[in-house]
Amino acid sequence: MREQTAPRVFRSPLHDERNASLLGVALGVTFTVCFVTGVLSHLIQDPPSWFQWPSRPAGLYRVTQGVHVATGLASIPLLLAKLWVVLPKLFAWPPFRSVAHLVERLAIFPLVAGGIFELFSGLADTHLWYPWPFAFRSAHYWVAWITIGALVVHLGAKWATTRAALLKEGRRPPETHRETASAFDRRTFLATVGVAAGAVTLFTVGQTVSPLRKLALLAARRPDTGPQGFPVNRTAATAGVVEAARATDYRLRVEGKVRRPLVFTRDELRALPQHEATLPIACVEGWSTSQRWRGVRVRDLLERAGAASDTEVRVHSLQRRRQYRFSDLNRSQAHDPDTLLALEVNGEPLDIDHGYPLRLIGPNRPGVQQTKWVTRLVVR
Amino acid sequence: MSAPEYGRAYWIALPVGVALMAFGIIGVIGDKGIATSLDIGAWLVGADVAHDFVLAPLACLVGAVVARALPRWCRAPVQAALLVTGVLLIVVFPALRGYGHDQVPDNPSVQPLDYATATLTALAVVWTGAAAWSAVRLASAGREGRRPRSRATPGDRPTSPR
Repeated sequence: MREQTAPRVFRSPLHDERNASLLGVALGVTFTVCFVTGVLSHLIQDPPSWFQWPSRPAGLYRVTQGVHVATGLASIPLLLAKLWVVLPKLFAWPPFRSVAHLVERLAIFPLVAGGIFELFSGLADTHLWYPWPFAFRSAHYWVAWITIGALVVHLGAKWATTRAALLKEGRRPPETHRETASAFDRRTFLATVGVAAGAVTLFTVGQTVSPLRKLALLAARRPDTGPQGFPVNRTAATAGVVEAARATDYRLRVEGKVRRPLVFTRDELRALPQHEATLPIACVEGWSTSQRWRGVRVRDLLERAGAASDTEVRVHSLQRRRQYRFSDLNRSQAHDPDTLLALEVNGEPLDIDHGYPLRLIGPNRPGVQQTKWVTRLVVR
Repeated sequence: MSAPEYGRAYWIALPVGVALMAFGIIGVIGDKGIATSLDIGAWLVGADVAHDFVLAPLACLVGAVVARALPRWCRAPVQAALLVTGVLLIVVFPALRGYGHDQVPDNPSVQPLDYATATLTALAVVWTGAAAWSAVRLASAGREGRRPRSRATPGDRPTSPR
């Protein structure tokens, strides 16, 4: 059953089925976690008609996306170790022994290439680094389906081998003895891979778990660093909204399916009843931070405009270009008492990079949907 | 030798996995965010080639040199520390090079740290651990050295193929 004739240069006993199986099981778990949380994030950002993401619990997206990024980062050493363990098989000869074997080996290409691509593009995205000519989210999403499909084929092909390799260990005293005698035995190798995954996590997870933020030495973001003490993804200058956001003729309009379209100046917004909520801003890139926001409830504005109670709302930014110039509030989000158009954060007027004069902040939403520099609500 | 045999699991998984892959490939072709699927194809092949023919051989080479050059008491600690170091460098290299911040230079909250210092700090933790581990091994090797010991086997100093 096992592959033959790996080149003689691979002499380490660590290139064996048991290491391949143990690391394979670990990767099966982490890739599945990444896939499920990733598809969820995609559905939240581009909801089909059957999908209604609830506005509660408020911190749920922060957790699912934090897990997505942390699991992906921790998978880097797992995948590299796994590929090193099975490297001799790349050179097995003859390259295949039956059609079924050929198909199995062909499916390894999308698995390896897709796995590396997903981890690399995900890592680059946490740094806001896009060295490719395509949209990150499109590529990361579709290649995830290709990778998970290849993983399913691979699991099917390796099911029996993996079971056998994991179950037979107890009955192999001679080999175990030899391994213990070597300088870098199985236990040391696997422990090292575990330490590498742990070290990656320890030095990055502080971007979302704020008690560990001082340890986030290798993360692209610190949840306590930025204007008013937390990070920014797109600045006002990059978005091209500095003038419009500071202009005296700035207005917020509430229109669409309403009985009374409304228009507010900044002063009129400040004169409305204000509500305070502590809500996380949870970025898809994996950082998140909780802040105290104060502003006008979207729900109150809808009521004032005479909108029906089951309406959805599109929130438009002053920003004119790009994908995230607006975002949608579904029914539960639009009517949640904590969904605010915030004027202040932590007792100060919003910094222009955080969306001055007005930004959307709602519970359980990805950061890209917390639209900044809001100028128009369209009720639908 | 005989061809590998496949159980029922394979014949169930194969059509499911192929369907999932087909869904992803059709998605790539139809997505407006992806101008030509050739770009992604090139990146996928590039990812595989970069690993199989650059990163993996490099790791093997480093492992082989370490396995030959170092005395036994510090070999495993150094190999382990190199593995962790390599992984941490992969994770931090965009920040070390400023890839990301260079695309949004007006945003100081992207890559806000001095990453050279930050990386050295993280690596200092790793190598301090490796040094302590080596010391323990050296001490216990000294104790064992006074007792008769079986000869080293060929699998004695692996971790990396030679």
